[in-house]
Amino acid sequence: MTIAACLLLYSLALLVGGPPILRRLTSLGHTPLLGVAAWLTAMASVLVSWVVATTSAIVDVAHHRVHPGAAIAACLTTLRGLAAGNAGTALQIGLFAVISVGAAAIAASAWRLLRTLVRMRSRTYRHARAVHVVGRRVDGLDAVVIDSAEPAAYCVPGRPHAVVVTSAALAALSERELAAILAHERAHIRGRHPQIVAVVRGLAATFPKLSLMAQGAQHISRLLEMHADDAAAEQHGRASLLGGLLALTGSMPVTSGALGATGVAVLARAERLAAVTDVRPGRTALTAAAIAFAAGGPLATIVLAVAGVLSCGF
Amino acid sequence: MRSRGFGELEAVIMDRIWNREGSTTTVRDVFDELVAEREIAYTTVMSTMDNLYNKGWLAREKDGKAYRYWPTLTREEHSARLMRDALSGGGSPDLVLSHFVEQIGPEESARLRAALRKIAARGRRTAK
Repeated sequence: MTIAACLLLYSLALLVGGPPILRRLTSLGHTPLLGVAAWLTAMASVLVSWVVATTSAIVDVAHHRVHPGAAIAACLTTLRGLAAGNAGTALQIGLFAVISVGAAAIAASAWRLLRTLVRMRSRTYRHARAVHVVGRRVDGLDAVVIDSAEPAAYCVPGRPHAVVVTSAALAALSERELAAILAHERAHIRGRHPQIVAVVRGLAATFPKLSLMAQGAQHISRLLEMHADDAAAEQHGRASLLGGLLALTGSMPVTSGALGATGVAVLARAERLAAVTDVRPGRTALTAAAIAFAAGGPLATIVLAVAGVLSCGF
Repeated sequence: MRSRGFGELEAVIMDRIWNREGSTTTVRDVFDELVAEREIAYTTVMSTMDNLYNKGWLAREKDGKAYRYWPTLTREEHSARLMRDALSGGGSPDLVLSHFVEQIGPEESARLRAALRKIAARGRRTAK
């Protein structure tokens, strides 16, 4: 039971301490993919500790009552003990109930996540199929053109994937800017970014109360944009990409309220593209350390818990 | 012509039907057009058009032994619908798209454009 308790404590510490630390480490996007890895590892580490904690608790309980007959007998004894006002066994029953609820919650969450992902996939693939049917092909352009007065460019995963450019965007962009934007979108597809975004968004929707998941989803999307920017800038130059960013910003109608965070995110990308690259080895090393910490966390916790148990002779 | 499987044929057939504008079409009409350019079986065209009907792209009406088909929506209507889905920010969280630039309100985008222009000018100076 010590292992389970320690793992839960560890996950709690990560849930509280993780977001501010990771935010600080990855805010500028010096090495975007490393930042993505850091957020992903932290999110996965929490989930893994929950699963392992519950499993270890179940194993603990089962270990004491291996034989099914013995388990029932023990259960009856416990119930009799409870009736007789035996507090120790009442605690046992309470513990058992907590474990059952924990296991049920994990199963329910997994089911909810799976359903969300399936829904996203079918909705997104349907969009991609429709894009291929409705869109026009233009010679020499590796993208699907949709006639629309709103300048926009995006990619959508599907079978096959689609990079979409509206006719208004084609009119607004120079040849080099267009090439840079298409390279950006292809980097998303190649790096399976939409799939990563779908999973973390699904996690955020499954655990709406956990800020690590919500912030993780948000920051991972932002970092993936920066990574795609880097890939495109490498091929077509920063100026082309920056020009494209400028050409496609604005003159779009608003459908929802002010999107403050979005504007800030676009500015951050532009700042980054315009700035002279300054590699910060210190921050990179810290991010790598954070990844190592979150990846090794559950195992280290188990080792510490076992060592603690042994030394206390418990 | 490069083929991208069944989905590509659906796109080609819808393209033909939209370009006809107004009149209804039979499988035979579409087949006659396509067979001039590619190797294709009549039954393939028939089953593809049947699929397009089942997916809601085409409507049809029995005419003697065959069906007469017509598009349920124009290409423009479909484009508008797709863009509405794609651009309406948080409209559907289930649609996973990667926009080059997310949608931004007009006031904010004016401020943003000003800031971007400044950054772009600075970027040009540092780039060269």
